[in-house]
Amino acid sequence: MRDEELAFASISALSAGLASEDISSPTALTQFFLERSKRLNADCHAFIEITEQNALRDAERADNMHDTGLLHGIPFASKDLFDVAGVKTTAGSRVLADNTANSDATVIKRLRSAGAVSHGKLNLHEFAYGITGENAVYGTPVNAYDKTRLAGGSSSGSAAAVAFGLVPFTLGTDTGGSIRVPAALSGLVGLKPTFGRISRSGVFPYSWSLDHVGTITRTVADAALILQTIAGEDNDDPDSSNEPVDNYVAALEQSGNLNKLKIGVPRTFFFENADPEILAVTELAIDNLRAHGAQVIDVELPKMEHTRAVSLTVQMPEALSVHSRYLEDRGHLYSRDFRAGIALGQCLLAEHYIRAKRMMTRYRQQINTVFEKVDLLITPTTPTIAPRIGQPRITIGNNDEAIGNAITRYTSFFNMTGHPALTVPSGLHSQGLPMGVQIIGRYYEEAEVLLAGSALEEKFQIPKPSFHERYENVGEFVSAAEK
Amino acid sequence: MDKLNAHTLQALCSQLAAHPWGEEELNELVDPKLGVITGFQELLEELEVLRHVDLEFTAPAQGVQRKRKV
Repeated sequence: MRDEELAFASISALSAGLASEDISSPTALTQFFLERSKRLNADCHAFIEITEQNALRDAERADNMHDTGLLHGIPFASKDLFDVAGVKTTAGSRVLADNTANSDATVIKRLRSAGAVSHGKLNLHEFAYGITGENAVYGTPVNAYDKTRLAGGSSSGSAAAVAFGLVPFTLGTDTGGSIRVPAALSGLVGLKPTFGRISRSGVFPYSWSLDHVGTITRTVADAALILQTIAGEDNDDPDSSNEPVDNYVAALEQSGNLNKLKIGVPRTFFFENADPEILAVTELAIDNLRAHGAQVIDVELPKMEHTRAVSLTVQMPEALSVHSRYLEDRGHLYSRDFRAGIALGQCLLAEHYIRAKRMMTRYRQQINTVFEKVDLLITPTTPTIAPRIGQPRITIGNNDEAIGNAITRYTSFFNMTGHPALTVPSGLHSQGLPMGVQIIGRYYEEAEVLLAGSALEEKFQIPKPSFHERYENVGEFVSAAEK
Repeated sequence: MDKLNAHTLQALCSQLAAHPWGEEELNELVDPKLGVITGFQELLEELEVLRHVDLEFTAPAQGVQRKRKV
């Protein structure tokens, strides 16, 4: 494989390359990605820390392993909320700059047991608080398709690392869209599984009621493979589910035949106030699912007008409670926006919080009623393409709103309901930036979500970013933008 | 509901057990400039609307269960 092919290869292609010895060894593969990461990271700010020595040691162990599963020797990296033994978990903040993990998070443990090689810790919006991924301490990850644009957040480094070809897959967390939004803005596949499907043990929390662990990959098949490896009950996480784990990889073998699936289109709210090109390509996606045999009907979801208020009222008191232990001694080390957010958590009343959690139950009941009629829902992932770095507000049609409200508009509801949701690329906008389409399924029916995503992926192949020529001076650009 | 002001929040935080917040973050809640969160006043108004939604005895959300196909 040529270097560019290697950098943008799927896990299955890399695994086949290792099996055929087209790639000589896990160590050779690790060295290739480490060199590339060191070369490009100053420009893209994807990594907070590249753990070179640890990666080479794990790769050498993989060289000597007899097991040749599909993740054997495959590099990956994790959002800097996931504990990796002996490595700092900073959460993108000065508050935890000296916080070294004693052991691996459960998901890291499962990936390393399967032979995957951890290459380091990825950038994020401080403590996963915001959707822009802007980080004054570690730099702001840029979009691989346009250096003046955001990669998206809060799993900004998780998206940028895959989009820039620094690793083939990453782990992230999603509290209101923090995997799906950056994946969509960066032309990648982002999966937020059912609440409780993947353990959160060893992952620094933001909001216990809304946080989900998930993946960013190049392909739907890769998302299925990683989910297969990390899903399942964990005694160390009281919220993890003991629901049996399906065979997601085998489920994709039916790709191309969606005859048994009924797909709902929630046109109210989810198809309003969006970029016309995004709406048009979502209609193409719907047509494509229909062409694969799916039955498509319009559906009505609960009224969405207060969903952001409900989400904030749950998030901010929980985030305050997480950070209570640090505020006294390290309060001055937080960024201004995050301190204001958790101050809001302080000023809400207990009844506000409990009522918001009861509203979440109501939303779940309402959407489960919709899922009695359909198997899946389809929506755009975001109403806009990647915003410019530093842009505080955006106007879409007649609607002027804060960036944070706009780009999570179609995603945050499914954190409250806990349903599995996947974004897949749906094409390139006329401005050269990726667009995404979101598929949502019933609880624990990730297999159906992935199956539909796979059908769309075949239709919407987007070109990989051609950033080499355009990124010569990106370091200077980002510094200027952050000032 | 009266309009919220920073003095109310300062009094709330000083008279009830609370973390020590500075003027900067409490002012951000009544007059947001950073653009990440909705203003607290607007949030309270929405919560006031939600207070009038009859949720009967709906319990707070916890874990989720698989729903069998109907």
